[in-house]
Amino acid sequence: MSADIGFAKRHNRAALAFLAPALIFVFAFVAYPVVYAGWLSMFQWDGASQPLFVGAGNFLRLAADPIFWASLGRNLLVALSAIVFQVFLALAIAYCLVRIVPAFSRIFLFFYLVPVMVSEICIGLLWRFMYNPYFGLVNAGLKAVGLDSLKRGWLGESDTAFLAVVVVMSFTYLGLYVLLFTAAVRSVSESVYEAAEIDGAGHWRKFFSITIPMVWDAVRANSLLAIIGSLKTFSLVFVLTNGGPSHASEVVSTYLYKIGFGSFEMGYAATIGFAQMVLTALAAWVVFRYLKRKGDA
Amino acid sequence: MKLKRLLIAGAALAFAAFPAMAGELSFWHAYAGQQDKVDFINFALDEFAKKHPDIKLDVVAAEQSSYKTKLNTAMASGNPPDVFYTLPGGFLNAFVKGGQMYALDQDLAKDGWRESFLESAIAQTSKDGHTYAVPVDVDSVVFWYNKALFKEKGWETPKTYDELMALAEKIKADGIVPFSLGNKDSWPATFWFQYMEMRLKGSGVVASFVNGDAAATLGPEGEQAFTKVAELAKKEYFPTGFNGMSDQEANMLFLNGQAAMLLNGTWQIGASSDAPEGFELGFFAFPKVDGGKGDQSDVLAGVAASFGISEKAENKADAVTLLKFLSSPEVMTKYVELRKTMVTVKGATTEAAAGPVLYGISNDLMNSAGHLDSFYDTAMPPAATNIYYTSLQGALDGSVAPADAAKKLEDALKANK
Repeated sequence: MSADIGFAKRHNRAALAFLAPALIFVFAFVAYPVVYAGWLSMFQWDGASQPLFVGAGNFLRLAADPIFWASLGRNLLVALSAIVFQVFLALAIAYCLVRIVPAFSRIFLFFYLVPVMVSEICIGLLWRFMYNPYFGLVNAGLKAVGLDSLKRGWLGESDTAFLAVVVVMSFTYLGLYVLLFTAAVRSVSESVYEAAEIDGAGHWRKFFSITIPMVWDAVRANSLLAIIGSLKTFSLVFVLTNGGPSHASEVVSTYLYKIGFGSFEMGYAATIGFAQMVLTALAAWVVFRYLKRKGDA
Repeated sequence: MKLKRLLIAGAALAFAAFPAMAGELSFWHAYAGQQDKVDFINFALDEFAKKHPDIKLDVVAAEQSSYKTKLNTAMASGNPPDVFYTLPGGFLNAFVKGGQMYALDQDLAKDGWRESFLESAIAQTSKDGHTYAVPVDVDSVVFWYNKALFKEKGWETPKTYDELMALAEKIKADGIVPFSLGNKDSWPATFWFQYMEMRLKGSGVVASFVNGDAAATLGPEGEQAFTKVAELAKKEYFPTGFNGMSDQEANMLFLNGQAAMLLNGTWQIGASSDAPEGFELGFFAFPKVDGGKGDQSDVLAGVAASFGISEKAENKADAVTLLKFLSSPEVMTKYVELRKTMVTVKGATTEAAAGPVLYGISNDLMNSAGHLDSFYDTAMPPAATNIYYTSLQGALDGSVAPADAAKKLEDALKANK
């Protein structure tokens, strides 16, 4: 008995030794910056002169900052659209690839994955070209099908800029979820489908009554990924509109960037970043709890 | 970020460890990286060594972006170089406030040195009646137009704002965009607002805020200026979706002949060099606005760089000799020739060195301007600039009322001095 404990202890020590390097990196590059940002969020600092302690001042300012709340609202809309147009759509596509056209699933999967492999900055720049009101493909396409009246400056008008950005986001990240779901859908046992077919179930019924429940864990994980990604999205917005015109497509990260590196209000920028982190963690927790199946521990 | 700053501070200390001896000067500049900058500084330093073999220079060069941090750190740690390159406006004023800049007034008064500069350029490196740096180059904003297109259509360049509006209406009716504008990054539209404010109220509005003048105000003209600029957008004189287009995209429209005019800086000359065959670049001044209270000959022009001497420098006589040499007409003419920008030394922007367009602007507009007003967005404190940008984008877009935009800007200018 006591020999067993000694053995376990020695094993623990070896395991800890192996874990230590990673742990040190986590502390140096994650934990320390987070604590530092939290500390900085209580100061007024322009990045050069002596920081001035303001206590909760920055948090009060944040609570009353309409631009921040509007930006956060946009992040939530991005998350919602991600659930519908990335996660759910990807699941439907994965079902089609695996169950309906399995012969072509590889080639389709490849095409869906192309945008995932290209850097977001490149995708953003390509779409800037597509959206260009004079040379771009989008307006030219509308003209070609006779919808001239719908032509507009997509990224430059406050009522369409955000929509235009969300479309690009869905296009960019869809492929990743298709890939993840394809693997999950493939792992569902064929016998379940056969039993359903004997009972006369069509694709519709099979999708909702078999596939979704069987891959629920994957749905949960992917929704979580999509929501976290949506709450901290930055690069596509930055390249496409830079949050403009006049904050019309601003999200929290681009606002943070403007405050930090445009206005040089490092303390307030840290406050925004800290709030963003807390809210993202909170959202993740809520989603994870809410999407739990009945009967799960 | 922090580590980088520490390293820079360390480097600054290392340089400072060797105090300048008699006949020795430390000289910092930001003419690194770009070939035209390097060519210029090599020429200047070689000539200086030939002419003044008794003065030894300890030269440190850095690229523009890192240079600012480097100089700031050296100044903050109390080990400034003797002679150095500095940006005018807020950047220089911070050093002046800290008592770190040597006032050049007495030296400028001798031998007509002061008179060799455009007085309005000297004003941009002065504070409270003292001059702390000598200005080098200057960028100005004018209307650019497609000469061939104007000739083909029989359009005339306008003298008054009303004529400009009539012309814009005509151009629009022809299916061409009157004014190209790519305002994604917010600075291109500021020229429109600033010129309106300068014509309606006068030059130096933002400068008086920055100098802490208690009576500083945009006046009712601020709202009027926002209103007039918003009107242009409403009448669709700018390209579709201009708030989402980049300056380069706007330039493409202009060079392709899809837009007829463009309000932009003298860097447009360089940007037009890859225009299609047959394109000819013309310019005219921002027209007079009837009933405007400002001097109608004023030009929006900002000093881009200057040289100053630190208060701590031990041999100021040699330092002044270096500044005088750098701002001498022959060095400055070489500057124009190599870098294709205007300089603040009178007569140095020669036709041979500058080329016809730049020479025309320098000769016709700059020399006869009542005042040169420096760029609002770079003169303002950064937080105010941010608000200026978004308010103007909103006013153009119709999502922010001109009165609100003017109020937001005025509040921001008052809050951040």
